[in-house]
Amino acid sequence: MNSQTSFRLQMKSIVTVRNLSKTYHIGQLRNSNPTLRDAFVSAIGSPFSFLRGHRHGDGTTLRALQDVSFSVEPGEVVGIIGRNGAGKSTLLKILARIVKPTSGEVDIYGRVGSLLQVGTGFHPDLTGRENIFLNGAILGMKATEIKRNFDDIVAFSEVGRFLDTAVKYYSSGMYLRLAFAIAAHLEPEVLLLDEVLAVGDESFQAKCRAKIKSVSRDGRTVFFVSHDMKAVADLCGRVLLIRSGRLYEGSNPQNMIAEYLDEVATAEAHPASLLANTNESVAPPSA
Amino acid sequence: MVISENASLRVSRQPESGGELSESADQQVSLPSKPLIKIRASKRWTPLDLREIWAHRELLYFLVWRDLKVRYKQTLLGVSWVILQPILMTLVFAVFLGKIARVPSGNVPYVLFLYSGLLPWTFFTNAVATSSHSLIASAEMITKVYFPRSLVPLAAVLVRLSDFLVASLILFVLMVYYGRAFTSAMLLVPFLVLHLTLLALSLGLLFAALNVKYRDIGTVLPVLLQLWLFASPVIYPSTFVPANWKWLYELNPLSGIISGFRAAFLGADFDWRSLLVSLGITLVLLVYSTFVFKRMEDEFADVV
Repeated sequence: MNSQTSFRLQMKSIVTVRNLSKTYHIGQLRNSNPTLRDAFVSAIGSPFSFLRGHRHGDGTTLRALQDVSFSVEPGEVVGIIGRNGAGKSTLLKILARIVKPTSGEVDIYGRVGSLLQVGTGFHPDLTGRENIFLNGAILGMKATEIKRNFDDIVAFSEVGRFLDTAVKYYSSGMYLRLAFAIAAHLEPEVLLLDEVLAVGDESFQAKCRAKIKSVSRDGRTVFFVSHDMKAVADLCGRVLLIRSGRLYEGSNPQNMIAEYLDEVATAEAHPASLLANTNESVAPPSA
Repeated sequence: MVISENASLRVSRQPESGGELSESADQQVSLPSKPLIKIRASKRWTPLDLREIWAHRELLYFLVWRDLKVRYKQTLLGVSWVILQPILMTLVFAVFLGKIARVPSGNVPYVLFLYSGLLPWTFFTNAVATSSHSLIASAEMITKVYFPRSLVPLAAVLVRLSDFLVASLILFVLMVYYGRAFTSAMLLVPFLVLHLTLLALSLGLLFAALNVKYRDIGTVLPVLLQLWLFASPVIYPSTFVPANWKWLYELNPLSGIISGFRAAFLGADFDWRSLLVSLGITLVLLVYSTFVFKRMEDEFADVV
């Protein structure tokens, strides 16, 4: 561990996160599709609130992330763990540029590929072959990149015989294998994975783990969000624990995993603490 | 390690001043000196990032390709729907307005007159309707992958543009059938098509963005488009409008474009004033919509 530490200090970070926060307004979440009528009513009530950018809500906010800072060097596999709703996915979605932070900064010195769901954008009526191109493009691959990797993707997915069949006729296993095979051939410097290993049978999961390890050996960086502590312990050289939107990091991954398991055990004993990360703000509910 | 060995649990801090970080010269892996991606909290008003859209042009191509491919797989008549829609509308209006109501169309056969108006109208109404719905239809993609969100409504408009190009073949057939001459005025058609595309795109961007937050747009829009058909010179000539109301009529940007379309194909005089008014309104609308879209874009994944 010591030699690795000094090695890391010499290197420049590929991802730097500074004081990142994300706040959701509960009102906005609870009623995510307000009608035009609501908008008109609120516009008549306070005609200039739109200019100030105030959102109408019941004054309750959810701090999904609070003042999170860390940096990561090339080649690290970083596990992100925490209970449901702790903010893991929010962090990953900010890194993936899907949602914007409320405040704070992230600098990434490389391309980012995200795999938050297997088979995003797959179209059931298109064939396996067609979906490889479509999904590849959606994940950010260039057409030349897809063509170059096409045979490898097909081989990895083991669906070669059904390449020209519409994917709606695929079994769920074939569907997942094809989807993961495409994602596995992404070549960005930073790869974001959310629970993707939760799918597929044991042998396929082993194959995915091997792929993640080889990605890291190439000097690429992987962020891995999971509830599967065995997979985290196996893959991640570093573990970040998120608890109610705050980030904790200890000396080694095993400690963090133990912390997390403790936390889960406590939560099961005291279910009320599940609500702990909802912060009531001072403003009273609007009439 | 960022954290000291004996502290088992503490808030992680960023390693010393962030500004100096980029100046450390010795690196094992060659990283660019400037970050490729900077993530910041959303700014108020920023223009659409055309470079980002250009960088994702392949995705735009695949989104258009997907929609065309799927359409021709799912439907029995495939490509012919693209032609059938304006043809059927032409037949309906030709019977009710041409034969029964006897709307005058000058020295042009009413069928030709109708088709030359319904062709751009069909493109416009379909483009606005599908692009307005496009972001909601792509909610899954928007919440799982990053890409410039404007590609989605843009792709919807381009799909409809390709429909338009196919359906315009019928116009040429009709012109030959009715023995109309092909004139140099037709050289203006590409510009009119571009103009119409920009108008459809600006409304598509605007409604698509609003639709994510206010789903009533999807209910109101078809009614609005229906009314718009009757407020435009599609099934009747713009000469129907009384002279003292013409200024108001010209404020409908479609009136200049559709009259211009007809003038280019059927050899009438161009109404340059209404075309210019239309162009002005279109450009203002385009700038406005792109800013609104960009402003709302950051929230799409939170709201959709």
